[in-house]
Amino acid sequence: MNGTVVKNKEICAGHFLLSVKLPESFKTPMPGQFVMTRETGRIDPLLGRPFGVYHFEKSENEATVKILYKVVGKGTLLLSRLREGDFVEVLGPYGRAFDVYPEAGRVVFICGGIGVAPITYLASHYRRLTGARNVKLVCYYGANKAENLVGIEKIKDICSEVFISTDDGSAGFHGLITAKFSEDISSYDPGSSKIYACGPRSMLKQLSELLAENSVSCQILMEERMACGVGACLGCTVLLNDVEGIGAHARACTDGPVFNIRDIRWG
Amino acid sequence: MENVRPEMQVDIGGLIIKNPVMTASGTFGYGKEYAPYLDIRRLGAIITKGISLEPRAGNKPPRIMETPCGMLNAIGLENPGVHAFIKEKLPFLREFDVPVIANVFGETIDDFKKVTELLSETKEVEGLEINISCPNVKKGGIIFGSDPDMAHAVTKEVKRLTDLPVIIKLTPNVTDICLIAESVEGGGADAISLINTLTGMSVDIERRIPHLANVTGGLSGPAIKPIALRMVWQVVKRVKIPVIGIGGIANAGDALEFLIVGARAVQVGTANFVNPCATMDIIDGIEKYLKRHNMADVNDLIGTFDEEGKTC
Repeated sequence: MNGTVVKNKEICAGHFLLSVKLPESFKTPMPGQFVMTRETGRIDPLLGRPFGVYHFEKSENEATVKILYKVVGKGTLLLSRLREGDFVEVLGPYGRAFDVYPEAGRVVFICGGIGVAPITYLASHYRRLTGARNVKLVCYYGANKAENLVGIEKIKDICSEVFISTDDGSAGFHGLITAKFSEDISSYDPGSSKIYACGPRSMLKQLSELLAENSVSCQILMEERMACGVGACLGCTVLLNDVEGIGAHARACTDGPVFNIRDIRWG
Repeated sequence: MENVRPEMQVDIGGLIIKNPVMTASGTFGYGKEYAPYLDIRRLGAIITKGISLEPRAGNKPPRIMETPCGMLNAIGLENPGVHAFIKEKLPFLREFDVPVIANVFGETIDDFKKVTELLSETKEVEGLEINISCPNVKKGGIIFGSDPDMAHAVTKEVKRLTDLPVIIKLTPNVTDICLIAESVEGGGADAISLINTLTGMSVDIERRIPHLANVTGGLSGPAIKPIALRMVWQVVKRVKIPVIGIGGIANAGDALEFLIVGARAVQVGTANFVNPCATMDIIDGIEKYLKRHNMADVNDLIGTFDEEGKTC
């Protein structure tokens, strides 16, 4: 669907918040789903970029999607140069959403870097869903340095407890967020706690090792290069555990991007 | 004239299709993946993802890499095999009034023969596209598609076993594509489609490793269109059977170029990824062009290329 840029603002070094106005008919994304986004008409780069949704709202005659992204290559660099009134194509929402448990006692979010974007959308959903109920939303958020803790204020608004880590020690715990989480892991009751994570592959892999002896539910959002986003090109393959042959190949776009952490073969 | 819709029907070696726009193999799954996003019934035909005798897991990831105006892929022909295709994928396509052309590949002539026989027994498959050109599998189609005698032999064997129209899909990774085209025509092919992807590669300079686990992959997208167009133009002049143009077609203008140089139809591939409605836009765009040029039938346009610019 063709949309119009409302705002595309750099909120900290190399991180942008893009707001796009879309037709009212655009389907409301579920947390964990993604959109394929590209500048309308551009053929270099050719493919859309998959982004987890940061925020979505519908009003009477239109919808607005917000995408929080980090400039990592040519596609995101060109996206960062878009100005108000420019056209962007937004396809989706695509992919399998997170399973959400309104009856959960404690919900734990673990995010690294720009992984905070889809986690924020999920956390907002949980906050709305659980409303006045006293469900504890806890967030562990790691970045390389303090100024790259993008969107931290919003996370603090939503969650009752927020733990921060930075690689350089400029804010919060000095080290990886998985190390911080490992200190607390025993305090989460596997029966009533639900964990959600999104971040670099190395972070998710470490998390899978931490949870090897633990039965707590953990859903992760995987980021892969994609071409189509709808399950046709078979380009975004994720390898699964305990299966051989064709069954070991899952598509991040339609079988995911949300997976059970224990299903992934980390290699 | 203005209110009359131009005739779009074309004849591909005995298979009559309602318009000359199809989806290219490997870019449209088995139809179901894209069904929510466009009106599949409007397509000229659907070419399925490649089907082999046995299931294939395909290559390890990473399998794709974007390049300027295009992309590399090394999927490795992942597919559930012909039996699962017939049982699980084909019934869905029965719902739509659109011809299904099954794309077939094999590692031996025997594989091609067995898959051809099984697909020919189904009610739903109306044509076969034989992939003798996929560059991704080490022991695969490349051998057949780059050798005129082998290409001839596969065509002849497949034709012997089926009454369905047989389209042979050619690889561009050869010295002279016209030689291969002539040899498959000699083998009895009903039509030829070209081009498959061009073999390429891409290197991660920081880690000094290939971007694709398979090292090389097939280049597709607008980057390859001028090469595809040149090859179609060359082949059309050398064979009498219909030629289907493939390669970087992303809009109606691209498709029209292929039709003008003589392609009887076109296939849209990578553009589906970027715009799921690309085929619909192309069908509409061809119709508009025909109206604008006062042509009542798309066949009046095909092959009207004025190579020397005499009419200008």
